[in-house]
Amino acid sequence: MVLGTYKEIVSARATDKEIQNVSQDGGIVTGLLAYALDEKIIEGAVVAGPGEEFWKPEPMVAMTADEIIAAAGTKYTFSPNVMMLKKAVRQYGIEKLGTVAIPCQTMGIRKTQSYPFGVRFLADKIKLLVGIYCMENFPFASLQTFISEKMGIDPTLVEKMDIGKGKFWVYTQDDVFNIPLKETHGYEQDGCNVCLDYTCELADLATGSVGSPDGWSTVITRTEDGNSIFQQAVETGVFETKDMANVKPGLDLLEKLAAQKKDKNQKTIDKRKEMGLPVPY
Amino acid sequence: MSEKIVISPTSRQEGHAELVMEVDDEGIVTKGRYFSITPVRGLEKIVTGKAPETAPVITQRICGVCPIPHTLASVEAMDDSLDIEVPKAGRQLRELILAAHHVNSHAIHQFLIAADFVPENLMAAAINSVSEVRKTAQYVVDMVGGEGIHPSEIRIGGMADNISELARKKLYARLKQLKPKLDEHVDLIIGLVADKGLPEGLGVHNQPTLATHQIYGDRNEFDLERFTEIMPESWYDDPEVAKRACSTIPLYDGVNVEVGPRARAVEYKGFNERGVVAQHVARALEQKTALSRAITILDELDTSAPARADFDITGTNKLGVGAIEGPRGMDVHMAQVANGKTQFYSALVPTTWNIPTMGPATEGFHHEFGPHVIRAYDPCLSCATHVMVVDDEDRSIIKNEMVRL
Repeated sequence: MVLGTYKEIVSARATDKEIQNVSQDGGIVTGLLAYALDEKIIEGAVVAGPGEEFWKPEPMVAMTADEIIAAAGTKYTFSPNVMMLKKAVRQYGIEKLGTVAIPCQTMGIRKTQSYPFGVRFLADKIKLLVGIYCMENFPFASLQTFISEKMGIDPTLVEKMDIGKGKFWVYTQDDVFNIPLKETHGYEQDGCNVCLDYTCELADLATGSVGSPDGWSTVITRTEDGNSIFQQAVETGVFETKDMANVKPGLDLLEKLAAQKKDKNQKTIDKRKEMGLPVPY
Repeated sequence: MSEKIVISPTSRQEGHAELVMEVDDEGIVTKGRYFSITPVRGLEKIVTGKAPETAPVITQRICGVCPIPHTLASVEAMDDSLDIEVPKAGRQLRELILAAHHVNSHAIHQFLIAADFVPENLMAAAINSVSEVRKTAQYVVDMVGGEGIHPSEIRIGGMADNISELARKKLYARLKQLKPKLDEHVDLIIGLVADKGLPEGLGVHNQPTLATHQIYGDRNEFDLERFTEIMPESWYDDPEVAKRACSTIPLYDGVNVEVGPRARAVEYKGFNERGVVAQHVARALEQKTALSRAITILDELDTSAPARADFDITGTNKLGVGAIEGPRGMDVHMAQVANGKTQFYSALVPTTWNIPTMGPATEGFHHEFGPHVIRAYDPCLSCATHVMVVDDEDRSIIKNEMVRL
């Protein structure tokens, strides 16, 4: 299946205005982690918090809903959250841990759960793994380069970044800028070209804007736990949902992009194999 | 007519050692010699010439049984050499992790001696008790040290991080819960050791005890001037033993000593029992002392305080001393740092102190009790080895050409 195994797919957004104001799209990650914290399903979460350099996130352990909300919004460069998981279950004393991860990180986390070398007593403590859709990710220097050099914007003025409609968007206080996504090609990290996972197929629940209208997100619940936590959150009114059949652009777009990533990168993998180059999995 | 009984290797201990006993016609030991046959590790040489931060990371690998004391002794030696004042929270966290380690490590030893003392019908209960004690104690080491075996959070200057308030509360609650359980466990162990009915006076010797602190260790209580070290060939009067022994013989005031739980109890708690039973009792009672100390620290710890000092690694070649009371005794690491690199490093470890005392302690009783005497010291050989075997054929360490590490 091009979208991986799943229980249900819906379009959703957080009902909390405070979350809507700071979130990238539907505020699913922020809303769900904050809900899980409030309900004591988790005791803390590793999230991509603000770093010292502007737009360069640093993984942080959030132990309150406020800290989760402070970390809302997509950062288009890596936040090595996996690195922080062990610290969260050690010095922070968290025994029920949530986190947010892109597909490659999710694969890493699932692998540490299967083979816990160097991460003893971590596997059983990860209670909620929220995945986000990811086509590719940019090293921080790449991001800086195409924002300041290609778009001519001082990165410190950037208020929000986004990818959508085939373009990379940058919002400043007064203006909106964009460049076609193909302008960013070659700036992504190399590993992204051999990754076949667009919709975070190993997460408890995966989300992203693709398939839903502006301000909404498409949520794919994948595991029993992911599904039940999300359903509880919907029932308590944390999220409002719409049937995927009734929203535009709809599931077709998500399937199309997921298939595109698989097809394109499978070709890269085959080519690399042909050349005798290593493929990471 | 004397006969020689050789136990090689002595069992249910860490590392390899040999016990050679000369016995008379009744089988009574007239001369006991205990010595290490564990191959040398050479870790002190590995860390020389490298950045000071390397030392705690490498030397904790001396052993997986007591990595905590080695890490602590190493950072303490570096702190001293670099003249670092460790912040209060850092000192508290270090002591907390060691106190928890004492509880855990003593429980492991109780498991190792279970076959000697526990009757079959109580074996399952005793092992479960050990497991339960260890589980909670190791939880503390995991949380505070980052890893239960080779802790990553113990750093030069203090600890990498303070723990969160959530962690402090959890640890406090769990250790409080462990207290009645541990009291029961200690009573069980002491009772079982008493029930065994070992002969009166077994393992008693007249050597002095050496300890620097009730739980943690204090470099000011270890006087380097009073310490000397001799080579095994000038200690063991049996040339066969002397040429194969892999550890040097440390002396304090010119004599061999005993270190460990009984030594600490004698020095700091007015304990005056001697011998095998006294060692087991002192070890078990020390678990209670350590747990109380851990609970007190968790009660007092300010989780918002800094746990680590800033420091400069350049160094002045000052000889830094780190003295830590490991479960098996005083563990001293010494380090000199200059130009940002470790110039000299030496570890003077618990069982090394005990080795020359352990053999003679078997004397005067039937040789069948020899292993009991040895196990009462909870010997741990891997860190004690400091001399290299240079001839594999006859396993000798050639006199005067010994490779000292």
